[in-house]
Amino acid sequence: MPALEDVAKKIRESAKRLLAEGRAEVVVGYRRGTIPLTTAPFFARTAEECDQLVWSNFARINLANYLPGRKKVALVAKGCDARSAVGQVVENQIPRDELYVIGVPCTGMVDNALVAAKEPRPIREVVETTDDSFTLKGEGYSVEVRKEEVLRRNCRTCAHRTPKLADELAAPEVPGATPDDFADIKALASKTPAERLAHFKDLIKDCLRCYACRNACPLCYCPICFVDETRPQWLGKSNDPMDTLTFHLLRGLHCSGRCTSCGACETVCPVNIKVREFNRILELTVQKEWQYEPGLSWDQKPPLTMFQTDDAAEFIK
Amino acid sequence: MPEYIAKKSALTDFFKALSAGRRLLTPQGAGDQCRLAETAPDQVKLDYVNTHMSPKTLFFPQTEKLMAFHKDASKPDANIYSCAGDKAVPTVVFGLRPCDARGLSVANKVFQNDRFTDPYWKGKFDQTVSVGLACAAPAPQCFCAAMGGSPYGLTGLDILAFRLEGGDLGLKAGSEAGEALLKDLKLESADLAAVFNSQQAAAIQAQGVAPDYRPIDEANLMALFQDPHWLSTAENCLNCGVCTFFCPTCHCFDIQDEQDEKGGVRMRNWDTCMSWLFTVHGTGHNPRPSKTERVRQRFMHKLKYIPLKQDGVRGCTGCGRCVAMCPVNIDIRAVALKMCQSSAPSQA
Ligand code: SF4
Ligand code: SF4
Ligand code: SF4
Repeated sequence: MPALEDVAKKIRESAKRLLAEGRAEVVVGYRRGTIPLTTAPFFARTAEECDQLVWSNFARINLANYLPGRKKVALVAKGCDARSAVGQVVENQIPRDELYVIGVPCTGMVDNALVAAKEPRPIREVVETTDDSFTLKGEGYSVEVRKEEVLRRNCRTCAHRTPKLADELAAPEVPGATPDDFADIKALASKTPAERLAHFKDLIKDCLRCYACRNACPLCYCPICFVDETRPQWLGKSNDPMDTLTFHLLRGLHCSGRCTSCGACETVCPVNIKVREFNRILELTVQKEWQYEPGLSWDQKPPLTMFQTDDAAEFIK
Repeated sequence: MPEYIAKKSALTDFFKALSAGRRLLTPQGAGDQCRLAETAPDQVKLDYVNTHMSPKTLFFPQTEKLMAFHKDASKPDANIYSCAGDKAVPTVVFGLRPCDARGLSVANKVFQNDRFTDPYWKGKFDQTVSVGLACAAPAPQCFCAAMGGSPYGLTGLDILAFRLEGGDLGLKAGSEAGEALLKDLKLESADLAAVFNSQQAAAIQAQGVAPDYRPIDEANLMALFQDPHWLSTAENCLNCGVCTFFCPTCHCFDIQDEQDEKGGVRMRNWDTCMSWLFTVHGTGHNPRPSKTERVRQRFMHKLKYIPLKQDGVRGCTGCGRCVAMCPVNIDIRAVALKMCQSSAPSQA
């Protein structure tokens, strides 16, 4: 059980060294949040700023999202985030030599909705020292929560918790969890089209079209998203269910074979929509058709971004 | 004005009388499922924190039809727009929090003022009786007192309810209409000023020491605008707009036309200054080209422009929603402190 502070120390040391050596001009990491159960993405450019870097059970945001277009950047990355960063290099969003990955083997991040379900009383303070539990404090109470019980669902099935392709690791390697069995997705596939449509409409019924899911996603780096196009405008802007669903379906398709299940979309959604349902379906398809998992190699391209003349293309028939 | 008491034993009768001839909306559901919903008089809850979304959704929904036409050429009004706003129904909302009531009063001045009246907002707003429930125990994210409000504030409310020992409800009028309604309800009247004041003082104290944001009011607008901190303040922003969608005072919208083979509608949808699309011109030029300008706009609007237009009243009422909901912890309290520093006399 590494103490969070030990990991943070390692991150700070590396960050300072990289800045001093000129290897990086900015280190993208996390700082403590101003409210309980949060951290904030933080950009350290001086040794002094590096002292604000932390490690936490609430480091949910995928910082690879801040990479495209940057130069000389060091990234603090969990397993999934490091895979996103690798994907961005593969997809030419950042040159490999402009990027340095400080990998943090990760035991999963906390889902605040599960915490709230466990502890409905107002939470005034969270004390966390290790990566397996934390203490919630409020008016007249203090309870310890085991992290395992409140993990985000993507973290529960994360097989790549150690960022193996990172330039260095800030903590000892950890074993991966049992991978997603996609049981629910397979069950859904056997339903009728009408049932599936009803399922998806229900999934997105509270969606506000705020696009936080898209904006937090390291794959969604298009300068202009298709939902924002105005000439022509492809999609209606109201809360019409078919327009909203079209957004989610197309975003899912655009991410197929690229999503690393970092869960950033679900973490940021203000109305708790299980955005990853769309991605999981395509994750399963890509695994099945091409035996491909994104972000595990610096040069293998995502299958749907390539064309091969000898492609069997059985799935199209 | 005296206060009134609704007895614990007669609360259902009180809510029945209050909602006679009106639908009764109250907060139902816990945590992020808490929303204003139609409620039977015996189902009113008093133990919620606040609604997940702000109550602006009542008068300014995410999507609202404004006008509609049909294409049935056999009818004389084919292809001619007619009004299609949501039908306003007489309503009483019980359980608004004072921050939100204040927020609605800020938005109300945008939709109804001496220059324009928005009929869609007005129709619903003017038919609603607003009854607040004071916050005896403010939540961790609350800072209404720092923003010039109070957990026992009356602004924007017809009536404010507050809980008395033993389970009775104290009631205080916040408007003439509220006073008249309370009189009509034939409740026991009492002088509760001392209880009210001591409860209010305790609730304000529970929010901790309020930072003094007045330097922003006094600062030179251009000094605030040009301060270099916006670059770092905005750096982690996702430009998602969650903050604006949840804010009780944010009121910007986008008008869209849609049609199919049968007819068409003109509607308005929530828009957000956090989106690049919000300001992009037909030429492609964008006066707020990066998130730095967009983030600056949001905080300048809340803390400088609205106070300039609304006699010093801030566009933030401290409800804490954006603080709790921002995925990357951009905290308006921290931003306001930066703005206070940037307005130090040496830079003004
Ligand atoms: S973050 Fe949630 S509410 Fe916002 S667009 Fe995505 S799914 Fe919809
Ligand atoms: S301040 Fe936060 S909630 Fe608002 S647009 Fe930026 S990231 Fe989204
Ligand atoms: S700016 Fe934030 S805290 Fe202030 S009223 Fe709006 S949502 Fe609430």
